[in-house]
Amino acid sequence: MPAGAVDLRCNTEELLAILMSREVHDWEISACGAVSMIPAAALLLAEATHAPHAEIIILGSDELSHNLGKDIHFLTQRGQLELFFHSALQFDADGNFNLHVIGDPNAPDRRLPGGYGSGLMSYMSKRILFFRTEHDLRTFVPQVDFVSGAGVTDERIQRSNEPFKVFTPIAVLRFDRDTRQYTLESVHPGYTPDEVQARTGFPLVMADPVPVTPPPTDEELDALRGEVRSRMIETGTYPDWATNVLRAP
Amino acid sequence: MGVPYIPVRGLAGTDVFERRDDMMLAPNPFDPNEITVVALAQNPDVAILHGLKADREGNAILRRFGEDVMVAQASRRTIVTVEEIVDKVTPEDTSGQFISSINVTAVVHAPMGAYPTGVPGRYPRDDEHIRRYVNASASDEAFQAYLDEHVMSLTEDEIRARFAVPSAK
Repeated sequence: MPAGAVDLRCNTEELLAILMSREVHDWEISACGAVSMIPAAALLLAEATHAPHAEIIILGSDELSHNLGKDIHFLTQRGQLELFFHSALQFDADGNFNLHVIGDPNAPDRRLPGGYGSGLMSYMSKRILFFRTEHDLRTFVPQVDFVSGAGVTDERIQRSNEPFKVFTPIAVLRFDRDTRQYTLESVHPGYTPDEVQARTGFPLVMADPVPVTPPPTDEELDALRGEVRSRMIETGTYPDWATNVLRAP
Repeated sequence: MGVPYIPVRGLAGTDVFERRDDMMLAPNPFDPNEITVVALAQNPDVAILHGLKADREGNAILRRFGEDVMVAQASRRTIVTVEEIVDKVTPEDTSGQFISSINVTAVVHAPMGAYPTGVPGRYPRDDEHIRRYVNASASDEAFQAYLDEHVMSLTEDEIRARFAVPSAK
């Protein structure tokens, strides 16, 4: 269970998969990248519950990747990909994120892959969901070390202007491009808005009161651990991860 | 494609864009309200692609997935290495992606030529060897030692023996 005082009856990965699955819309095209276990579970859970007609693309799956090759790029460039999942190492006050390096970009402490998705997918998919399995001041910083994707760009740059969301084990943050600010969209049961703010290195806009994230339901937990877990194992969609991380029913 | 550059949506405002001198911002000539990143055409002098089979005309079957044909079309010269040479390769062959001899400069018979990566249906990827390669790439010295051990110090016969590939003669 996450470290909060309230038992949500699931681990962090299951919680993030369930919360993000709620963002998948029926009848839309949604995709996740090549090493994306939690998003894969989220997509399959949405399909198993409220979005049975969702077109889902799981690039890291043996059977559910659609073998798109360059077509995923062109689909996205045309603006026809409606939802894409992203992770990042750092997020900053201006809505920039970093998926490239930690430290000085010319002599980085750590260097990661991810440049492609950051610079193209995140601009041209209609909606973006970010997630992190921790929520701390290393991740949410005043200024990122490297801009893999810019929160706000010149108004003559055509891109999606939808807000993006960041899911963590304690809260959901939302960045609005028109106001250029992060809002604390909801706080998970067991945590307080002040605690989320203290673990975030830039100011969060807060409603009064801040909504509480609806906890996982029985239906969501059952579908995730039953149908989704089996489907991941059967379709070669991170079967080891599904076996070990999603609790067997 | 033969175009000098291509507009790309995305990348504006990133440090990737800032660090590359082969990308610029340019107006959309058809729409004054839009600017895009434009990326300089990439035209390699030589592309080397590995495929399943080729004929002596230079028609070949490449791996099923991937953008190999596009790479060949962008390059000034293209060398295709293949697992086997056959009498005739046609577009009806569905074992992989067809590339016409129009786009191929030379063919090399190179069985096991993808090693240590694999060719689906022929031989698997050697993860252990790839790990060694990646570790060796951390420094010039280590990489030279890797090259000496696995490439430079071996004769063609020794390499053929290692992979159980019969002599060409």
